[in-house]
Amino acid sequence: MSRAPATRRAVAWLDQRFGAAGFARTALNKVFPDHWSFMIGELALYCFTILVLTGVYLTFFFHASPTEVVYQGSYAPLRGLPMSEAYRSAIYLSFDVRAGLVMRQIHHWAALLFLASIVVHLARVFFTGAFRRPREINWMIGVTLMILAMVNGFAGYSLLDDQLSGTGLRISYSIVLSVPVVGTWMASLLFGGEFPGSDIISRLFVIHVLVLPALIVVLLTIHLAIVVRHKHTQFAGPGRLDTNVVGERMWPSYAAKAIGLFFLTTAVLCLLGGLFQINPIWLFGPFNPAQVSAASQPDWYMGWLDGALRIMPGWEVRAFGFEIPNPFFPGALLGGLTFGLLYTWPFLEAWATGDHAEHHLCERPRQRPLRTAMGVATLSFYMVCLLGGAADVIAVTLGLSVNAVLESFRLAIFVVPLVCGWATYRLCVELSARDGLPARPGGGSGGRTRRSTSRRARRRAASTAGPE
Amino acid sequence: MTERRGWLAFVLAVMAVTVVFRPGPEPAGAAEDVLATGRRLFQLGCSSCHGTDGTGLETPGGDLRGPSLIHSGEASAYYELSTGRMPLSDSGQQPHRKRPAYGPADQAAIVAYVASLGDGPRLPRLDAGAAPLAPGGELFRANCAPCHSATGAGGALSYGRAAPPLNEATPDQVAAAVRAGPGQMPVFGPGVITDEQLAGIVRYVQYLRNPDDRGGLPIGRTGPVPEGAVAWFFGIGAFLAAVAWIGTRAPAREAVGSGKERTHG
Amino acid sequence: MAEPDPGDDGPAETLAAVSFGLATVAAVALSVVFWRGGQPQAEGILLAVVCGGLGVGIVLWARLATPQDHVTEERHLVGSTEAQVEALASDFEAGGAAFGRRRLLVGLLASAGAAFGAALVFPLRSLGPRPGKGFKRTAYADGQFRLVTAEGEPVRVDDLPLDGVVTVWPEGHTRDGDAPTLLIRTRPEQDLRPRPGRGDWTIGGVVAYSKLCTHVGCPVGLYQAEEGLLLCPCHQSTFDVLDGARPIFGPAARSLPQLPLGRNEQGELIALGDFSGPVGPGFWDRDR
Repeated sequence: MSRAPATRRAVAWLDQRFGAAGFARTALNKVFPDHWSFMIGELALYCFTILVLTGVYLTFFFHASPTEVVYQGSYAPLRGLPMSEAYRSAIYLSFDVRAGLVMRQIHHWAALLFLASIVVHLARVFFTGAFRRPREINWMIGVTLMILAMVNGFAGYSLLDDQLSGTGLRISYSIVLSVPVVGTWMASLLFGGEFPGSDIISRLFVIHVLVLPALIVVLLTIHLAIVVRHKHTQFAGPGRLDTNVVGERMWPSYAAKAIGLFFLTTAVLCLLGGLFQINPIWLFGPFNPAQVSAASQPDWYMGWLDGALRIMPGWEVRAFGFEIPNPFFPGALLGGLTFGLLYTWPFLEAWATGDHAEHHLCERPRQRPLRTAMGVATLSFYMVCLLGGAADVIAVTLGLSVNAVLESFRLAIFVVPLVCGWATYRLCVELSARDGLPARPGGGSGGRTRRSTSRRARRRAASTAGPE
Repeated sequence: MTERRGWLAFVLAVMAVTVVFRPGPEPAGAAEDVLATGRRLFQLGCSSCHGTDGTGLETPGGDLRGPSLIHSGEASAYYELSTGRMPLSDSGQQPHRKRPAYGPADQAAIVAYVASLGDGPRLPRLDAGAAPLAPGGELFRANCAPCHSATGAGGALSYGRAAPPLNEATPDQVAAAVRAGPGQMPVFGPGVITDEQLAGIVRYVQYLRNPDDRGGLPIGRTGPVPEGAVAWFFGIGAFLAAVAWIGTRAPAREAVGSGKERTHG
Repeated sequence: MAEPDPGDDGPAETLAAVSFGLATVAAVALSVVFWRGGQPQAEGILLAVVCGGLGVGIVLWARLATPQDHVTEERHLVGSTEAQVEALASDFEAGGAAFGRRRLLVGLLASAGAAFGAALVFPLRSLGPRPGKGFKRTAYADGQFRLVTAEGEPVRVDDLPLDGVVTVWPEGHTRDGDAPTLLIRTRPEQDLRPRPGRGDWTIGGVVAYSKLCTHVGCPVGLYQAEEGLLLCPCHQSTFDVLDGARPIFGPAARSLPQLPLGRNEQGELIALGDFSGPVGPGFWDRDR
């Protein structure tokens, strides 16, 4: 008897040990809708993968130690100068390790793009209403992933103990300090005393390399598992109902395209990492708490926070010898409000619209003018904050007064979201009227509940969920 | 006809005289001539704002038209003239680097004259090439980076002024500016930054005109702001192009049930 | 959608083949670059060609290999039937009730768990010292220190030219994070207006302020000499040196603390005591 082909033998061997043939077959045949906007989350996933791969290489050379050493490496303008071992090892990695600089730069570009992909993905999910029941928990997991990614990125570039990131650490210390009642305790425990202390670099290393990546991996796994369990949402269209999913099977088409997209994503990151210099720490110099450079900004995903700090006028709350210092409001409070609003949005919208049904069809943004307008207004608010963080660079580049720029932003922070929101609302109403689509500014758009599983109700649901 | 030829001859004669008797290069050691030239050029080009004796001028309304130059010294005059900031046509704006209005000899003369007005800082004579680069960088980051940025790209000051980028500054101009403190810049005297230390700073600034950019395109050397812009425009742009190529677009709005589909349980 | 005509495969297959071929060539070139010591731009571009070639090739191949028509899969309601939910709830409650009936044990278990959780928090206490007086005082409070530069050199008034600025520390404490001090020599014609009670805190037009911004602690490194303004590059807080470093723009809400200056027998500048207030950014009980 001739031996069966290798794949059959492998499948049989595995099944004898796991008995998972049925489950695996279902998994291989899962259908995924292939609209381009559904692939944005994958972009974030692949950026994370590259971050892990390049990051592991970097950990082989980076030493998160505050011990002071004297640099004797190949970069002449730093030779003979005292610096921390962390900074020295980062310089060594950049100049004297094969592929060190390109790995470092790919890693940093991947971090910027990881966050950017998450934000675009979040926007896609928001504007298509894909956070509605049953996906509220997955939405909250996603917001958590975004926060973890932001913190991990900040921790990552602060590890190098260069002048620019050290300035950022100083600012974060002061924001923690500004929290009422417990601020001084939190800051002292986090940093091991007064700023700068000597513990923060090694603590950030463990947080950046172990704690946060582990949390991200766990949450990401749950995030994807929930998507598989729920099946992905899809846009309405021919044959596309709330009760089915139309697309490609996982094996081979979807898997092949996913792998292809992974390589394309990696190609973009490698091109950026080799062609565009990022974070040239050898020019910034080692961190010194008494020094600072002009044009000090955090990476873009923290830029909105820095901009809020700049735009805020010099107001403080003082009473009975206690005070709530100025940075608390744009630093801690705004951040808390931002993420609080993001977390609770699915529940707020469900409460406001009275729509508690299950939804598996994506809506076009124009079909929900109010939600779309509020989303655009919120995005424009953070855009003003982000530009505020670059106020001095903008002022110098355009030849403007940085004071005038910031004062105009104090006005813009209110006016721009209102104008953008109003304009978006009008645009959505206009576009959906032109399309002949039902625009439901506040109401739900079909959907199902368990109660309506009678055949008649299902037919009714199918006809309202389909195109009109 | 004869009259016209007469005029022509006269004009040609005048031109010949000026060509033959044009001012030649100053003979060495003729310091008095240099000062005299400097004074003459100063009266012509500078006194309308700085006064005929260099003690400054106010407008009728009491605003300062040009400050006193008594304590400016050689360093300040050299800096302002060689970077073309002076003469300044609009005293309301912050002066910018532009093509110098005077040639090197004339500049030297005016500089000598202004230096002779008082006891201002001299232009340091340094050998920047021999100075150590790394300590110079350390001093640059400690004293200069807050305004000019660690990469020498310049930075914003308040109310529309700016610390200029340093990518065109010559060694003498850097040394002069540090000692003179032009405009909003503070003055760093020899008691705070010695001549040896200044030589190191000058050498480092020259290095910053062409620094090690082995990471690739420096995109302005202004830190995370251009980096974020590149990430969004190039990075996300490329990402979205990739998914647009791989994925499909929204299905056309047709009636339910059209098109061939295989149902799969 | 119909199956693609096999005759149309040609260009796509050729393109995929070319992509894989390019990827191979680039990978070999990349190996050579690494072997020769590496060069970041070459590495980045070649890596991009390798991955790009693989990606383009795989996507094209996927399009060739798999049919273009879509598949439909039925989607069931995520929620289970009421009966199933009811059954689960009953099972869970029944199981829990077996324990829950013994209220004493439940209460004791809860208090044991709470006490254990509280106990485990205490090791975190070792993460850092109690935020003590250190936040409200600097080394200057321990005596009358000579002011020295980062290199340890003392400073005389005449070392500072008019419009000059230098960063100093208390002698022996040049590494203290909270002690950097700005010495600024103002011009006589600038109208230096001391705060009440600080008339003798300046010497010869030299005034001393904490270098740490009262907003979020960045060093206020920019001195605009002509106007006597200190500008913080982080968030553009602006302080008027001639008016006790009062904030005149930006998010800072408090003046920079001022240091009282004196002179020792050698004429070197000394500090007569600590700053006029806690340095740096604010915190809850700063004023107490």
